[in-house]
Amino acid sequence: MNGERVLCVSEEPDLAVALVHLARSIVGEGAGSVLAVVLPGSPSEVTERLAAGGADGIHVLEGAASSDPHVVAEALSALVSDLAPTLILMGSTKRGREIAGRLAGTLDLPATTGVTGLRLEADGIRVDREALSGNAVAVERIVRRPAIVAVMSGVAAPPAAPSASTERSSHPMPATVPLTDRMEGRPKAGGQLEIEKAERIVTIGRGLQKKEDLSIVEALAKALRAEVGCTRPLAAEAGWLTDDHWIGLTGHRVHPKLYVAIGVSGAVQHLVGMRSSRVVVAINKDPNAPIFAQADYRVTGDLYQVVPALTKALGG
Amino acid sequence: MAEKLRIWVAVKHGIDVGLARADRATGLVRVDSAPRKTSDFDKNAIEEAVRVREHHGGVVTAVSVGGPAAREALREAVAIGADEAILVTGEHWAEWDTRAVARLLAAATRKLGGFDLFLLGEGSTDHFAGLVGPRIAGELKCGDIAYARRLTIVPDGVVVERDLEKEVEVVHARYPVVVSVGQEINTPRLPTFMANLKASKKEVRVTGPSDLDVPADSLAPVVVIERVAVPEIPRKQQAITGANPDELAAHLRDALKEEGVLP
Repeated sequence: MNGERVLCVSEEPDLAVALVHLARSIVGEGAGSVLAVVLPGSPSEVTERLAAGGADGIHVLEGAASSDPHVVAEALSALVSDLAPTLILMGSTKRGREIAGRLAGTLDLPATTGVTGLRLEADGIRVDREALSGNAVAVERIVRRPAIVAVMSGVAAPPAAPSASTERSSHPMPATVPLTDRMEGRPKAGGQLEIEKAERIVTIGRGLQKKEDLSIVEALAKALRAEVGCTRPLAAEAGWLTDDHWIGLTGHRVHPKLYVAIGVSGAVQHLVGMRSSRVVVAINKDPNAPIFAQADYRVTGDLYQVVPALTKALGG
Repeated sequence: MAEKLRIWVAVKHGIDVGLARADRATGLVRVDSAPRKTSDFDKNAIEEAVRVREHHGGVVTAVSVGGPAAREALREAVAIGADEAILVTGEHWAEWDTRAVARLLAAATRKLGGFDLFLLGEGSTDHFAGLVGPRIAGELKCGDIAYARRLTIVPDGVVVERDLEKEVEVVHARYPVVVSVGQEINTPRLPTFMANLKASKKEVRVTGPSDLDVPADSLAPVVVIERVAVPEIPRKQQAITGANPDELAAHLRDALKEEGVLP
């Protein structure tokens, strides 16, 4: 595998460093080459972190930061021609997947996203990735190189030792005319809660009749010292809770000790967000709700009666 | 832009995730025989395409890459309001990966009249790679905007609000542009009985790699799905009951205490 040249790129500094660790663990200590790209607009300390993380080469793109996928893909495409990587690791963030697809289309390369595991094997690269809206794991084999693999954040690789010598070079951003213009960026409302870190979560779904009734759920959350989560309709449609509470495929993935799903039917896009919970309680008046198949403790009943009673039983 | 807005919408007839079952012994999902349906977010793309036409005029062309059953996704698109339906199919359709699908879609637009606005779901319900839209745009060298939550037609193109992890970004692009949409952009209408009936009689234009000048060997998969498994997380499935809510609540509290998950 000593001929491996892995190019790592992500707009998220932590993920960029994690990709370098992953690349190092794939090619081995002192073997192959781990190359990292620093995108314009990255914080200045990223270069040092990439070097400390085991990158053999750091390629800094210099010029104005661009949010246009075409401009970024053209810049990366020029680097791919120069550096001839055998594998391109990217972050499977929204921007990361977009750039991965654009670059793959520009250079006609194999690409895959949402990757949670990666192995170099004799007959190709094997990756594990989420499938069926996150409810299954697919194993894919990539049969042509170079290939683009976009990796989910949280894929652990042990921190690597710094490379014996890290070469640094800078490359000007190409003078590509953008195809899209960013007019505005608005930080999302809320966004303070880090629900992924919660030990206990009380999640409310469409069974809640009105926004004012959230207080019933909040009282239970308080008694359990839990965070309040919600399903897509409550965040994205009704706006009763901000997106940082949203659990599911396009929301957050959580893995608490205790997950209490209240008035949650259990759409597949929700289940992927909560299936790693240790103990699951489901409270729903519909005995056929799909959430019950994922529950350790099933309560068939009216949340407006059960939840206040449970709060009281817990001393709340 | 041509005189009439040319709107394309790509629809995938993918695995019905809600109905797909893993084999009990192996945990593997039989991908080839799993029930299929129109991918969820593609329905939002169809709805958005039809709304754009309703307000700004134009022609909506629905296109699907797949096997014979993909006609069902096209029928659904026509029932929601698409004007034309194109099925891109071939002997080896089941092997086509995201690269092959994107190449065929790009070739179809080139060969069959071009587009101003190309809509699709931001990911398919079964695969959710989010690659096809950006791949098409990369191949055709046109703009792409993914994760759209709101789309506005302006004189020279579109303004899109897109949902990123930490911000909502507002982006403008001239035509032609590929826009991928999420579930939040609209609520797809339920077609009427008459619309469904009419749609099932609509002629579907069938085309394939050779008609589209795509060499068959260039569609050989470069990413092969070897297996799809559902990790089995055993759940106790214990019903908690009680003569009244208080008794039930006490039983549940005791069970959770036993589990050691209470504060």
